[in-house]
Amino acid sequence: MEPTPEPSDGTVVRAVLTGDVEQYAVLVRRYKDRYARYASRMLGSVDAAEDAVQDALIRAYERLPQCRDPEKFAGWFFLILRNRCFAERRRDRRSNGLDQVGEMAASEGSHASLERKEQARSLEQALLQLTPEQREVFVLKHVEELSYDEIAARVGTGVAALKMRMHRAYDRLRELLGEPQ
Amino acid sequence: MSQELDLPPALRPEVEAARRHVSLSPEIEARVMAAVRRRAAPPQQRAWRWLTAPSLPPWSLLAAAAAALLAFVIFRPASVGSPGVASPRATAVGPESVYVRFILVAPNAREVALAGTFNGWDPATAPLSRADTAGTWTVTVALPVGQHQYAFIVDGRRWVPDPAAPAVDDGFGRKNSVVSVSAAQGRIL
Repeated sequence: MEPTPEPSDGTVVRAVLTGDVEQYAVLVRRYKDRYARYASRMLGSVDAAEDAVQDALIRAYERLPQCRDPEKFAGWFFLILRNRCFAERRRDRRSNGLDQVGEMAASEGSHASLERKEQARSLEQALLQLTPEQREVFVLKHVEELSYDEIAARVGTGVAALKMRMHRAYDRLRELLGEPQ
Repeated sequence: MSQELDLPPALRPEVEAARRHVSLSPEIEARVMAAVRRRAAPPQQRAWRWLTAPSLPPWSLLAAAAAALLAFVIFRPASVGSPGVASPRATAVGPESVYVRFILVAPNAREVALAGTFNGWDPATAPLSRADTAGTWTVTVALPVGQHQYAFIVDGRRWVPDPAAPAVDDGFGRKNSVVSVSAAQGRIL
């Protein structure tokens, strides 16, 4: 017996819009973790990322009739989550989660793991000092490993502007992390 | 320029560490879906669906259709209230309880019942009667002074909160209506 193929995003979105609300759980399971790393690096903590992803999923449901291309739900949802992350960073810079960064490496105990944990902590702390735009381009390029073209398509900003942001992000990170210029 | 845009070597170990996978709590799904179910049929949408549905809608629509039902729960001393469908009321029957009349306008319903904390959530004990051709259903029950939760049950399976009354979460993603009976004030809050 062949496994039943997973329904496409478009199929699920259309089912939800025609009244099968329970189908939305498919999208929740599909995207709950996909952008969790992006959100946690943007907001500085897993807890904050969890709140942001949850809010974004609820907001996406509320706005689902406005999703013009249901097959591209992923990109549309990412923009909702991105707006949520930016709004939070701008609204309350005190919630940067500096004291929570360590939980990203929770349950790791080896020396090497602890070293990585410290490295992640220092980078997270430095990233929190960047503007949301600089921080985002750094996270998408180096943590999510997207190309500049992919980032441009995702966030709707030109490649040249993204490279300028990255250039400034590097300068600021070198300064914050003590690397010689 | 391209050289300047390479990741600075000193950042590479830290970026590697930051690339670790992040998993969020599996409870997110339950929380999101609970919120989605609550939003599935906001009152205005429910009212519109009820009024425009050509036939009996499925459960999700009918749960929402509650809002379209012009339900009123009004409590007044008997000497003040006037009889009639348009004047639902409650009457004091003793120091500890009052009669409360519940009214629901449900033109498409075949039967309506009332269930709440006051009758052990047993709709069989409080069926509403159709009072006119416009689809107004009524029942009068004696309620002890105090606060009670309730809902209407339309056609034996659709639990419909009263849109004219305050509501509370029932703990299962739906709403119960709340009525507060005060003999002293003669009001339902």
